[in-house]
Amino acid sequence: MKDRWEIILSGVGGQGLILSGTILGEAAVVYEGKNATLTSSYGTETRGTFTKSDIIISSGDIYFPEVTKADIVLALAPVAYDRCISDMDKDAVLIYDSDLITDVKNTGVRQYGCPITQTARRLGNATAANLVALGIIARMTGVVSETSVIKAIGDRFPAKSQVAELNIKAFKGGVIICKINLYTGQGVGWK
Amino acid sequence: MTVKGNVRFIQGNEAMAEGALAAGARFFAGYPITPSSEIAEVSSRRLPKLGGVYVQMEDEIGSIAAVIGASVAGKKSFTATSGPGFSLMQENLGVAVMAEVPCVIINVQRSGPSTGLATKPAQGDVMQCRWGTHGDHGIIVLSPSSVQDCYDLTIKAFSLAEEYRTPVILLADEIVGHMREKVVFQELQTDEIKVRKAPGCSPEYYKPFRLGEGVTPLACYGGEHVFRVSGSTHDEWGFACSRPGNAEKYIRHYTEKIENNRDRIVLTREYNLSDAEYTIVTFGCTTRSALEAMYIARSTGKRVGVLELVTLWPFAEESVMEACQNARAVIVPEMNLGQVLREVQRVVGRNIPVVGVNKVDSKAIRPAEILDKIREVETCLV
Repeated sequence: MKDRWEIILSGVGGQGLILSGTILGEAAVVYEGKNATLTSSYGTETRGTFTKSDIIISSGDIYFPEVTKADIVLALAPVAYDRCISDMDKDAVLIYDSDLITDVKNTGVRQYGCPITQTARRLGNATAANLVALGIIARMTGVVSETSVIKAIGDRFPAKSQVAELNIKAFKGGVIICKINLYTGQGVGWK
Repeated sequence: MTVKGNVRFIQGNEAMAEGALAAGARFFAGYPITPSSEIAEVSSRRLPKLGGVYVQMEDEIGSIAAVIGASVAGKKSFTATSGPGFSLMQENLGVAVMAEVPCVIINVQRSGPSTGLATKPAQGDVMQCRWGTHGDHGIIVLSPSSVQDCYDLTIKAFSLAEEYRTPVILLADEIVGHMREKVVFQELQTDEIKVRKAPGCSPEYYKPFRLGEGVTPLACYGGEHVFRVSGSTHDEWGFACSRPGNAEKYIRHYTEKIENNRDRIVLTREYNLSDAEYTIVTFGCTTRSALEAMYIARSTGKRVGVLELVTLWPFAEESVMEACQNARAVIVPEMNLGQVLREVQRVVGRNIPVVGVNKVDSKAIRPAEILDKIREVETCLV
């Protein structure tokens, strides 16, 4: 199994991608004893413009904390999709939200559209799309166990509160999307 | 592996705030500014629960003034800011130097000058830390390169501040301040936390600025030892004094109490220097790019080593000399136009090429850019 993962989470400010990255990092560091770094780049605006988080998880040391060779790129907004698709490593996989991104470009990059926002909405609230995306990534990579992520989500929110339940549900929804959409004949997965 | 209560995945800024609390800091005054705001945020939440005080001030001039006041009143005190706020603090930083008041000032560097790029990193305040406040003086500046460093070096900063009765600057940067990473909150040994000594003499004999025999203990305002604190040149009692001999004595003292203790203050880290043909001298966030570059270079058989300047000021002259004297060339990557580069050139001299990798476009220096420079230098040397 791969022991180093480089993941880019991109979207617009306010979607909660830094939170997704933090939960992933916490799951890896606190519950699985690995190393992780999370760096983010964003503008001076409070929300609505392009943001990008780089997360690296490894069992070894991590020096330069920015992604130099991405394994997975997530795009949760058209602006993020457009930026990422033009700058993709040929070995990377792009996961995008097919509810928000309709103008799909064929550049030869391996890319998969998933109904991320719709899933979050069906499970209770569209704002939990970041956790659906996290479920997809966690399942795809196997970089951390689902149990560790659920524990890390639990640390973030008051126990058994509605918001904790919603986020856990959204995360599990993402895991299921990944099982259904990505493993049915498309050959994605490194495990 | 299972959970350890003291292992966390947090931002450098959060770790600096936690480090300050662990060191015993109980007073924060500041004016939140990106990219340092989380330090104020965490302090505002945590300090009141520990019996401490958090004050959001009207600006950075007031912030450092309040920090000086709180420290003189006996609390370990700190503030956190970024370039524009740090510029405003310079005058009162001088007051802290002159009145020999222990305090910690965290500067999480962002791209400047002026408002610059508020959310983007830079390392452009190295010289401002050294000479930003006017007049001759010594200063201690530490620079973290990881979230663990943010925690550990903040604790160290408070110890040095007490030990040398001086302001200490923790010079972080946006990358390290905002990066989330693993940190372990260690149990502190008692000798790691410096407790302020009370004056041993009776109040009428207390000279708060007595010279000789190390650093004079600082009494607390509100106690029996009444004394005067002033930004004006003063005598050993703290009263303004314009005698040339007195000025000479104290101004030299502000420099010498730091510079003469360089061997006790300066911290560096060495990586693969024993056989290095190329030495990278680095600090702060750029250390991470340098280490990655070093390991890539080593994997191709190139003998590259790294010297990390954990203490930026006083400058690690002896360590730099030792790390560079047998190198074919020295590379100094930094997110400015050569502030540490010129210090390294000054120390190393003209016989060994010292070249910079300088970047001010608000993007981190990539390991490949350092490797390119090494290749370029290699070609020139053949």
